[in-house]
Amino acid sequence: MHLTDEQLNEYLDEATNERAQIEAHLSSCDECAARLSTLQNVFAELDSLPEVALTRNLAAPFTPRPSLPAQLPKFLTLTVTLQAAVALTAIIIAAPFIAQLIPVLELSSLSSVFIQLQTQWASWLDTLSQFQMPTLPTIPFELSSIYLMSAVVGVFMLWLVGNGLLLRNQIK
Amino acid sequence: MNASSDRDLIVLARRGDAGAFGELVTRYQVNVFNVCYRILHERGEAEDLAQEVFIRAYNRIHTFDIEREFGPWIRRVAANLCLNHLESQKVTTEINDEQDADPAQLPEAVQEVRERSEQIHQAMSSLPAHYRVIIELRHYQELTYDEIAVELNIPLSDVKSHLFRARKILAEKLHAPDR
Repeated sequence: MHLTDEQLNEYLDEATNERAQIEAHLSSCDECAARLSTLQNVFAELDSLPEVALTRNLAAPFTPRPSLPAQLPKFLTLTVTLQAAVALTAIIIAAPFIAQLIPVLELSSLSSVFIQLQTQWASWLDTLSQFQMPTLPTIPFELSSIYLMSAVVGVFMLWLVGNGLLLRNQIK
Repeated sequence: MNASSDRDLIVLARRGDAGAFGELVTRYQVNVFNVCYRILHERGEAEDLAQEVFIRAYNRIHTFDIEREFGPWIRRVAANLCLNHLESQKVTTEINDEQDADPAQLPEAVQEVRERSEQIHQAMSSLPAHYRVIIELRHYQELTYDEIAVELNIPLSDVKSHLFRARKILAEKLHAPDR
């Protein structure tokens, strides 16, 4: 009685509890030993396959997101520098006048200025509450909803075209 | 500086760091490609499928169990994807690459290894798709019969019969008397 294919395969896969019995049989049966050897050769052939190299980098699609530029654009840098220079010059020019004004200022005068401002603001509010809209001249033709709709659509189209022209370089 | 662990890279990838996932791809791309190549036996197709494996893995990185090992998992995903690909194609692939160098210019030993590799690939490519995948999972990914059954969702008896039959076919093709 010879070993089955299943027994030989499970023996090589180390998936059997009958190792001792199988080994005992193999030592006395040339035919089963030869079948085992053929199977072992298949295992060896499969193990001998070399790894094949890639011809492209599969990590390429997974590149880090581009970070924001660390520096401001050149024109913006120049503008900010210019603004800072102007502000500094203004402070230097104003400094003597501010120095003259500071001793004159007193707390009592500050409070009176504040009260004056508050009174002025209240009078403006009062005037504003009494304001009435002037009667607008009437339009010589009847403004139907179609005209209104056409005007809105026209303005919207103009807005779209205008933005399209402005942003065409960025869209490209 | 120590290299980040796979786990660290997966955590970063889950936060949207594509570069971290790219590092994982760099680590496993050759393994995954070879899984695909052993099953498909066509270089271009194997590279495309390997790329697809990583894209799918990235899109589903949030569902990956962080306690599992990434390497074995991604190789199993590759084997399954190749099986699905072959079953959807239902064509027998032929070996048509590895011909880029003139064999006559190679040293004799290298030439012999190359020829034998081609014979093995040729024998493997003659197997039905599910036989190839079972050979891949058992011989190259070293899964047990039970693990293969779970992975492919087939009965244990089918795993054994397909595996043993596949080996028998390979033995007949590789050790035929004329070779």
